[in-house]
Amino acid sequence: MRVSLRWLAEFIDLPTEAELVERLTLAGFEDVEISSTGPDLSEIRVGLVRECGRHPNADRLSVCRVDIGGGELIEVVCGAPNVAAGQKIAFAEVGTVLPDGTKLKRAKIRGVVSTGMICSDRELQLGDDHDGIRVLDPEAPVGAPLPEVVSIGERELEIGITPNRGDATSLIGLAREVRALFDGELRVPETEPPETGAPASDAIRIEIDAPDDCHRYVARIVRGVRVGASPDWLVAKLAASGIRSINNVVDVTNLVLLEFGQPLHAFDLAKLSGDVIKVRRATAGEKIITLDGETRELCTEDLVISDSESAIALAGVMGGANSEVGDATTDILIESAHFHPSRVRVAAKRYGLKTEASYRFERGVDRLGIGRAADRAARLIAELAGGEVAAGSATAEGAAPSFTEEIRFPTDRSNKLLGTALSKPEMAALLERVGVRCTDAEGEDLLCAIPSHRTDLHRHQDLSEEVARIHGYDRIPVTEPIGVLRGVERPRLWRVAESARDALVAAGLTECQTLPFLNAEWLEALQLAADDPRCRTLRLVNPIREEEPLLRTTLLPSILRIVQQNRSRQLGRIEIFELGRLFRTDGAPSQWGGDLPRESLSLVAALAERDEKGLWEAPNSPPLFFKLKGIAKKLLNQLGYVAWFPSASLPPHLHPGAAAALEVEGVVIGSVGELHPDVATAFGLDLGCAVMELDLEALQALPQREVQFREVSRQPSVRRDLAVVVDIDQPAGEVLEAIRKTGGKDLISVELFDRYAGKGIAEGRTSLAFRLVFQRFDRTLKDEEVTKSTDRIVKMLAHRFKGELR
Amino acid sequence: MPVGADNLERLEEEARREIAAAESLQALTEVRARYLGKKGSVAGVLRSIGDLAGEERARVGQLANATKQRIEEAVGERRGALERSDRDRALDAERIDTTLPGAEEPPAGHLHPVTRVFRDMVEFFTSMGFSIEEGPEVETEYHCFEALNIPEVHPARDEQDTFYVEGGNVLRTHTSNVQIRAMTGRTPPFRFIAPGRVYRHDLSPRHYPMFHQIEGFLVDEDVSFGDLKGVLYAFGRHLMAREIELRFRANHFPFTEPSAEMDYACLLCDRQGCGVCSNSGWIEWGGCGMIHPQVLENCGIDSDRYQGFAFGMGVDRTALLRYGIPNIRLLFEGDLRVLGQV
Ligand SMILES: [Zn+2]
Repeated sequence: MRVSLRWLAEFIDLPTEAELVERLTLAGFEDVEISSTGPDLSEIRVGLVRECGRHPNADRLSVCRVDIGGGELIEVVCGAPNVAAGQKIAFAEVGTVLPDGTKLKRAKIRGVVSTGMICSDRELQLGDDHDGIRVLDPEAPVGAPLPEVVSIGERELEIGITPNRGDATSLIGLAREVRALFDGELRVPETEPPETGAPASDAIRIEIDAPDDCHRYVARIVRGVRVGASPDWLVAKLAASGIRSINNVVDVTNLVLLEFGQPLHAFDLAKLSGDVIKVRRATAGEKIITLDGETRELCTEDLVISDSESAIALAGVMGGANSEVGDATTDILIESAHFHPSRVRVAAKRYGLKTEASYRFERGVDRLGIGRAADRAARLIAELAGGEVAAGSATAEGAAPSFTEEIRFPTDRSNKLLGTALSKPEMAALLERVGVRCTDAEGEDLLCAIPSHRTDLHRHQDLSEEVARIHGYDRIPVTEPIGVLRGVERPRLWRVAESARDALVAAGLTECQTLPFLNAEWLEALQLAADDPRCRTLRLVNPIREEEPLLRTTLLPSILRIVQQNRSRQLGRIEIFELGRLFRTDGAPSQWGGDLPRESLSLVAALAERDEKGLWEAPNSPPLFFKLKGIAKKLLNQLGYVAWFPSASLPPHLHPGAAAALEVEGVVIGSVGELHPDVATAFGLDLGCAVMELDLEALQALPQREVQFREVSRQPSVRRDLAVVVDIDQPAGEVLEAIRKTGGKDLISVELFDRYAGKGIAEGRTSLAFRLVFQRFDRTLKDEEVTKSTDRIVKMLAHRFKGELR
Repeated sequence: MPVGADNLERLEEEARREIAAAESLQALTEVRARYLGKKGSVAGVLRSIGDLAGEERARVGQLANATKQRIEEAVGERRGALERSDRDRALDAERIDTTLPGAEEPPAGHLHPVTRVFRDMVEFFTSMGFSIEEGPEVETEYHCFEALNIPEVHPARDEQDTFYVEGGNVLRTHTSNVQIRAMTGRTPPFRFIAPGRVYRHDLSPRHYPMFHQIEGFLVDEDVSFGDLKGVLYAFGRHLMAREIELRFRANHFPFTEPSAEMDYACLLCDRQGCGVCSNSGWIEWGGCGMIHPQVLENCGIDSDRYQGFAFGMGVDRTALLRYGIPNIRLLFEGDLRVLGQV
């Protein structure tokens, strides 16, 4: 809300602007700011003319030496006839931007250098007077910014009001708040209208057909008004609050809305048919043209005001065009009512009509302030537009709104809640400041009468907030909680995720986080089968980007897009990972119950590089697949698992010949492999890329194996290297496994340390070199025992793999 | 030829000259042999004193032996010097270019700034005995709003900028949903933190549709707003690694009563006002308050017996300020030139 400070000062004396902003901010109002409508003169300073003499080359010019508090006097040429030594003046230094946008430069005027300017009102855009300079108050402090000593333009207060404080959305409401914080006398404007006409109730009857939606309806009638332009003061007050002037009648209703926070509406009485105003629900399909010119088709949830024939207003939101006050209007009916907040809110939302009226009704208006506002409007209309105010008003009552009239306030409980030690009288005094009348009750209790405008106070905790707000949150002592010592619980998945992050960062990968929104095309680009569960996605009703309406069921698209974007930034090596939740509707039950999706924590990592070797990198660094496979193995080891990499059940986004599943404890929990070239193309990747996916949620459900100590032997070990030539498409892992099994229990380790094909090896064959280590616990192995074992292995290799020793 | 002190002196002088002139160990060995060897000059002198009278013989013999010893010392010194310079030459030949970069194998990886700040925060609260609790990101309107006193019909709902999911659920707009889920079915006392990701339908220069919060709440029979301040001061000191000044402003949150917004005094300008704090001297930190009795009751907790505090704060802003990153978008666009710096 925005209001003119001068107007607010009509209701209560104001403290300094700085105090006002500070206290209102601490008392719960948001983004409180006071600004000027006038020109920005914050760079103009107060100067003192120390010396003033005749210009040597020009009779009508003076040369002045001005003190602006900087220590040195500044010499300027001044053309004003009224300049004199000893004056305080408005001074612009070289470099100051003047209100007309020009930047002041050093100038040579008739041979004298002028370093600045003594300003006139016109130059400051404070008036049209150009005959002389502005002479300031002799008490003005030298060097102070001009706005501190001269009032410039209209000062306006901008203030954010939280949704619970409907009572503060008015001048009187803000003035009450100022009174609570600073004391002072509230000046409420006169409301009594001069009633000279026939009783209003003779002319119109009010019927409330929807009593739950309307607590009270008051209609006042003014006859014989002259609709016309509003006086300047009225236009200015409304303009300060961002309301455009329409005519004197409508402007008065808006003025009273701002003064009291009670929305009003003026109807052209002559345009109403019949002598009744009905407050009723709309009929299905009923139409109304609202004041903004739109035709609205209503539903039975809408509350309307109608005459004997049709709807004339959407209650609490906007009036109808059929009863609009215009230049030809002479007789008017002023509506002041209390509509149910949620009824107004639902309608305002449904039709996208947020009005000054609906804003206040939604937040709750003062149930006892209805008549007063109508009175005030009638009085002002008679004053500004003439006419005769009908005696009394036509009124009707609906059901009483829910409100709290009295709260039993246990001050000891409040002290316990706040951590304060305020006495009962101190508490009472604080509450009295916000208009809560306190009477003494037994024990530490107070009986608190809640003022009708405070629709937000229902429980003793609400009153504690008032106490804290007025007393000051900063005055609540800082203490330390005392409580039961209990071991901290961390979800297992949380710990697994944290360890996974550490392991991957140690392996040189960088963590990314991205929005969890998907484009359907990205899922297609992954070549998923139509029945793939990842194609079963949740959709946002209101996505931030129309083309990305899905909640993700896989992290692959986002990581591939990041690879692509970094590639387009000319990065040659991209090693990244992301942990994020997948939102699954594939039938897996939600861990949170209900109809929520299952949220599975997933991990994806990608390695991508162009052929660019680093300075210290080994010339034969592994292909991406093996690098990532190694990272996967180490990652799972660090998480307490042993990983297997079977070639079965490969996902379609991977290269079928360069990928493996990730298996732990016999359960497939992910995959690692090079990207399928078609997928790479679909994501615009022109460089090699390997990706790993890991279902962390499935993983953490598997039993972790704590590392167990294995006895080490004190006997010497024997090493044998064995190079065997096999068919080139023979998986080396199978050969290694066969050696391990054939070697017997003395074979304690087998390692593949070389793989070679080419010169010296037959076409279609490859040489695998294994390092075998034999060792016993009880004694030294004899050479012939080791030879016997290796002979057995060689025989097995020849038999099973057509292996020949090299 | 008379043998005497003069002769020995000359001999020593010559020997010293030759020792100093020896440029290699080999040459030095030869010089030594020439003077001190069995057939060397000093030996010659000693041999020749047999002709002298007893007293004189003893004197010259003493002199000759002293000369021999001094020459031996000079040879030793020279040998040490020659050995050292040989060593220096050898080491010099092994010189490498130490300005080449250190090998980072594998090259350093980086945790996301949000992860780093989360860890810092979680470390503090777990040290204070707060357990970690997580909740769904796709949430029911009940848990995200209604149970927190934010009904559909209340204007407070408008502040939420909610993403709606087809079928009636929402993307959680805050981590406060975890309050409801964690408190329901539990009996106080308890204390939890809920770190997590939240969403607001807002894409503007200063906002991103996704950000992170940490929620904390403690329920017991006797816990006050003063205790809440104590915990937040301690947390702030931990997080900023220095003394901090907090400011508590009244505010309205439907799920706390009393409620407050908290700011900390700008660390860059010490409340003088600067670009980072929009010249206010304060940086908004989060919201807090005493859990609303209705919220406790919604979770089946006796609000006459128990009371508690709750607070929630953004994580991303802290990360931006800590690392001097100018815009939240930079955190989530995956630019390795950005993420690789932190
Ligand atoms: Zn600052």
